[in-house]
Amino acid sequence: MKGLNAALGAAGLAAFLALGEAVPRLGLVKEDYFPPTSRIAEALWRELKDEVFWTALGDTLTGWALGLAIAVTAGILAGVVISVVPHLREATASTIEFLRPIPSVALIPLAVLLYGTELRSVLLLVVYASFWQILIQVLYGVQDVDPVADETARSYGLGTWARTRHVLWPTALPYVMTGVRLAAAVALILTVTAELVIGAPGLGKNIGIAQASQAVPEMYALLVVTGLLGLLINVGARTVERRVLAWHQSVRGEVAV
Amino acid sequence: MRRLLAGLAVGSLMVAASACGSSDSGSSDKSSSSGGGTTTVKVGIIPIVDVAPIYLGQKQGFYSKRGLKLEMTTAQGGAAIVPGVVSGQFQFGFSNMTSLMIAQSQNVPVKAVANGIASTGVDGKDFGALTVKKDSPIKSAKDLEGKKVAVNTLKNINETAVRESVRKAGGDPSKVKFVELAFDQMPAALDGGQIDAAMVVEPALATVKSQGAVEIASSLVDVAKDLTVAMYFTSTQYEQQNPELVKKFQEATAESLAYADSHPDEAREIVTTYTKIPAAVLANVVLPKWPAEPNRASIEALMKLGEEDGLFKTTPDLDKLLP
Repeated sequence: MKGLNAALGAAGLAAFLALGEAVPRLGLVKEDYFPPTSRIAEALWRELKDEVFWTALGDTLTGWALGLAIAVTAGILAGVVISVVPHLREATASTIEFLRPIPSVALIPLAVLLYGTELRSVLLLVVYASFWQILIQVLYGVQDVDPVADETARSYGLGTWARTRHVLWPTALPYVMTGVRLAAAVALILTVTAELVIGAPGLGKNIGIAQASQAVPEMYALLVVTGLLGLLINVGARTVERRVLAWHQSVRGEVAV
Repeated sequence: MRRLLAGLAVGSLMVAASACGSSDSGSSDKSSSSGGGTTTVKVGIIPIVDVAPIYLGQKQGFYSKRGLKLEMTTAQGGAAIVPGVVSGQFQFGFSNMTSLMIAQSQNVPVKAVANGIASTGVDGKDFGALTVKKDSPIKSAKDLEGKKVAVNTLKNINETAVRESVRKAGGDPSKVKFVELAFDQMPAALDGGQIDAAMVVEPALATVKSQGAVEIASSLVDVAKDLTVAMYFTSTQYEQQNPELVKKFQEATAESLAYADSHPDEAREIVTTYTKIPAAVLANVVLPKWPAEPNRASIEALMKLGEEDGLFKTTPDLDKLLP
């Protein structure tokens, strides 16, 4: 089953690449603006040999990882505190719904004013965008706690901390992991976007330079790299999710089928 | 689970610690001089051909011999540079004259300190041009009435320039439909027929020309003879607090501009270090002029045209803005 899925995935990608080669070659779009796969691959190969590329990749991954770590930590802490402390949920609900839809990229002028084109500008945008993914999932997860289990724990004399640890957290964890997976993807998108627009060092900045330089194949090569990164991050997040939730019926059920 | 929690807690602590650390080092080396009298200044630039002199000047040691170390901070456009300079994130920035005059007229505390680039002043051989597709029925700027013309930023220097070209050709600029489009997207848009004409600058101009596009006007030349297109600027606050430093930057930049102007091959060469312009395109790029001093008469002409087009709320004070 798994092998078949991988084979289908590879076949789909191969068909897509072939299409990318054929469309410009057949003259359906101009090669100047949409280079065929082979020329993008050549440009990618040149990039891989360039030290500048690896530095940029490192910068992007740093921004992504730091931003995600901060967002996950803050999201979980805030989510649990909001759920555990009485009335805090009601008091914050409208504020959260007010802040959540604000697009992170709208904060770019603020980020530049505060931090210029440094990593911290990128982090501001990344954390803002991915924090909500985690927080909302934690809140949903807490809502899913079985009231009977919670009351049972209460009647056995478990305190707030123990109930959070043994009842709330195991229930919320699957939701949290979903949040982490979503946030990981969002964080990557925002890292690259911030670099592209603000000019903070990283892949996004190099994409911008390639665009302004009329270096079209190089630009697409870098886009391919960000796509691959997204793919790897998703695979990685799913693996972590399966490991962490190995005890949970959703994962155990998946294995049995 | 416990390990996950512990890991997250440690991670957040490390993040907090490193964030503090970087902010400390960041603010200490930003504008204060370190050790042997060398000051690091951040310069906000757009990574294009225009700023080749500053890279060349740094390589030639014009800045270091005056105790300046430049740290180039590249931004996608002027939008990030002006707030960056005014808030003190960068000490100097690079911006076109119209943007600087708009900022000045709105009391944004900017002060131009050194010349940036000038048009070549040669009709048909400038680094920016008003272009139409090969075989277009549009033969002169007058024919643009009712047509769609792309400029990189609406209500800015290139719109002013195109309007002047239309006016000079005997047309009515208010009948031209301007659309905003990034320079790098203009060749494809022009070729695909989404726009009728494009006010495009290098290196996109070289791409446009390679497709057989026709130049119908050198709009920057139409504005004024040897137009000062862009300048390096700082904030008025930084200028008042660091007059010595600003003077050194001014002198070093003037030297760099003069050097770049007289060594075009070296200027072309250094562009490859900070852009990805393909060699074939770079060879065909028309370099701008890099005079050491701004041309005040040309800036006044640009200002008058801008006023006519309603770009400024109040008249910019050139005495305050220019060095």
